[in-house]
Amino acid sequence: MASRPRSYKAQKVIDRLGQKLNRQVVGSLAACVHCGMCTESCHYVLANPDDPTFAPAYKADRLRKLFKRHYDWTGRVLPWWVNAQSVYTDEELQELKDIVFGKCTNCRRCSVNCPMGVDFATFNRMARGLLVHVGIMPEGVAAVSKDQWEIGNQMGVLKEDYLETVEWMSDEVVDEMGDDKAAIPMDKKDVNIVYTINPREIKYDPRTIANAAKIFYAAGESWTMPSEGWDMTNFGLFSGDDDLGGAVARRVYDKVHDLNGKILVMSECGHGYRSTRCEGPNWAGYDIDFEMESSVVTMLRYIKEGRIRVDKSKNPGAFTYHDSCNFARSCGMFEEPRELLNLVTNDFREMYPNRAENYCCTGGGGAMSMAEYTPQRLKSAKVKADQLRATGAKYVVTSCHNCEDGLNDLIKHYKLDMEVTQLVNLVAEALIVDKKEAVAEVAAKAAPAAELAGYTILVVDDEPDMREFLTTVLEDNGATVLTAADGDLGLEMARTHKPDLMTLDLSMPGTDGAKVYETMRKEHDLKGIKVCVVTGKPELRKLIYDRDIQRPEGYLDKPIAEDSLLLNLRKILEVGSEKS
Amino acid sequence: MAEFDVGNGTTVEIDEDGFLQEPENWNKEVAAALGKTEGVEDLVDEHWKVVDFLREYYLEFGVAPMIRKLCKSTGFKLNKIYELFPSGPAKGACKIAGLPKPTGCV
Repeated sequence: MASRPRSYKAQKVIDRLGQKLNRQVVGSLAACVHCGMCTESCHYVLANPDDPTFAPAYKADRLRKLFKRHYDWTGRVLPWWVNAQSVYTDEELQELKDIVFGKCTNCRRCSVNCPMGVDFATFNRMARGLLVHVGIMPEGVAAVSKDQWEIGNQMGVLKEDYLETVEWMSDEVVDEMGDDKAAIPMDKKDVNIVYTINPREIKYDPRTIANAAKIFYAAGESWTMPSEGWDMTNFGLFSGDDDLGGAVARRVYDKVHDLNGKILVMSECGHGYRSTRCEGPNWAGYDIDFEMESSVVTMLRYIKEGRIRVDKSKNPGAFTYHDSCNFARSCGMFEEPRELLNLVTNDFREMYPNRAENYCCTGGGGAMSMAEYTPQRLKSAKVKADQLRATGAKYVVTSCHNCEDGLNDLIKHYKLDMEVTQLVNLVAEALIVDKKEAVAEVAAKAAPAAELAGYTILVVDDEPDMREFLTTVLEDNGATVLTAADGDLGLEMARTHKPDLMTLDLSMPGTDGAKVYETMRKEHDLKGIKVCVVTGKPELRKLIYDRDIQRPEGYLDKPIAEDSLLLNLRKILEVGSEKS
Repeated sequence: MAEFDVGNGTTVEIDEDGFLQEPENWNKEVAAALGKTEGVEDLVDEHWKVVDFLREYYLEFGVAPMIRKLCKSTGFKLNKIYELFPSGPAKGACKIAGLPKPTGCV
C-alpha cells in the first residue's frame, strides 16, 4: 500500500516530537483516562459548555494521537485500537496551531485538577514549540520573539532609549525625594540587588520603575539596574521555544554575574518570574551563583525588617488579589503577596476560588499578543469577571503585567467598575519617607534598650520552648509577659488581663489559633487587642484569610530571629499608639 | 476582523482588539469615534497634540514611540498622559491615533 504523502513541515513536526519527548511528557501523554475532571476546571470550557473541542482532554488528544502513531508501540502496532493518527498537511498543522495557541493559555488549572497527574499545559507548550520550529505560530508571537532574539527585549527597545527613560525616572525620584542619593544607579558593581523589569514598564508605563526606586531608596538598599539583560520576561515560555528561553535567561544571568550582584530581583511579572527563576537555569544550562527573588518578597522583607515604614491609610478602598497562574500556581507565591497587601491596605477581600485554584486572567500564555483569538478569549473571561464582581472590591491587585492587561481588557468588556494595580504602586504610595534622612536612618534605628517597656504581651503557644524563648526576649526588652499553653486559656487570660498585644500560634491542640483569632475579633472586649500570628506553618494563614474578619496586625514565621521579633512587635504597638 | 462604524455613514476595518487594520484609513472622525471606545468622550487640543505626535512618529519610523519621547515632545508629564487617556498610552492613545496594536505583554 502506498503511503500517503506528507508535507515537509508535517514531517519535521513528527521528527521533532521524538526529540522533545521526556519522561514528564510521555507520562502525561500516556496517563489520561478521559475522566473529565479537567473539563470543569478550564475557563474555555465553562464559557463554551457545548463545544467539546475546548476540553483539555480533547485538546490533548490532538497531540496524543500523533505520539501514539509514531512513538508508542500500541499505536504503531494497532493504530485503530488506540486512536492513533498522523498529520500530513500544513492545513492540519494550522488547525493544531489554533488549538494550542488559541484555545489554551497554559494556565495549568487543569493540570492541578487532574487525578492522574497529567500536566496538559506542559505538552501544550511542547506542541507550540513543535509548530514554532517549522514557523507556524500567531503573527504576534513571531514579532515578539523576533525582537527578543534580535534586539534583546520583547518590545524592541533600543539601549539608548532604555537608558534615557531610566534617567528620566531617576530625575523624577530625585526631585520628589529632594535628595541626589535617590538617583537610580546604572551598572553599579558589587551591589546587593540587581533589579530587572518587564519592557512594557520602560516603553509605556515607567511609573512602576520610579515607585520601585523610591522603595529601594527608602530602604537604604545598595542596588542597580543593569544596562543589558534588563528584560526578565521570556517569550520562550509562551512559544515553547526552549532555545529562545535559554538565550533570554542567559542574557539576564550573565549581567548579574558580571556586576557581581548578590540578588537578582524581578519586578511583578508572572511569566518572567517563572521563566527566570524556575525554568531559565534549565533552558540555559546555567549554574547560577546568586540568589533570585520577586520584588514582592523584597518589599515584604523591608517592612518586616523595619527598613521601610508604611501607612495603610494612604491606600483607601477595597482591594482583592488575583493570583497569576505562573507566579502562584506554578511557583507557589500565594501568601507573600497577600501578607504584603494586608500591610499596605485596610480592606482586603479574598477572591474565590483563589491561590492554586484561581482562574486565569484569560490573557496568559502570550494571548495578549494574539489578536486573532481575542473574541474567544474575552468570551472565556466570563468566569473571571464573575469572580471579580463577587468580591465587591474596587481594586484588583496582581503581581503580573500580563494579568494586568488581561484583567483590564475583561473589566472593560464586562463593564466592571474596577481598576487594576500592582503591589509596587501600593507600597510606594503608603511609604513614609523622612526625606533626606532616609538612608542614614536605617543604621540609626538600632533598637534602644527597654523598647517594650510599659506594654503587656500575652504569649499563646503550646510549645514550652517557644513560650520560654518569647518570654525571655520580651521581658529583657521591658515588656510584662503573660503566657498561655492553649487557645482556651489564652482567650480567658485575654479577657481578664486585657494585654496590649497577643502573639498567637496557629497550630495548637484544642481550640486552634484561627478560631481563637476569630473570637478575638468578634468579642467586643477583645477587639482592641493587637494580634501577631506566629506560626511554623505559613500555609495555615489561609485559615485566617478565608474567614470574613479583619486581618491580624502582624505575622511572623518560626523560627523567629530575635531582632525581627522585636522590630515587628514594636511596629505593631507603635502603629496603635500613633492612632490613639 | 470587523467593521467599525465611524458614525458619519462610513465604516473602517478594525482587528479583534479594536485597532485600525490599515493605518491609512485614519482620519479625525475615525479618531473621535475610536476615542469613545477608550473612555475619551471628546478629543480636545491636548488629546490632539498626543495623537498627532504618535501618528507622525509611527508614519516615519513604523513603530510606536517610547513614552519618554511622547512626553518630551508634547511637554506633558507622565501622569497627564494617563489623565488624558484613561486606558493608557499603549491601548488608548495608540488606538485613537490609528496605530496597530502594540506587541508583547500589553
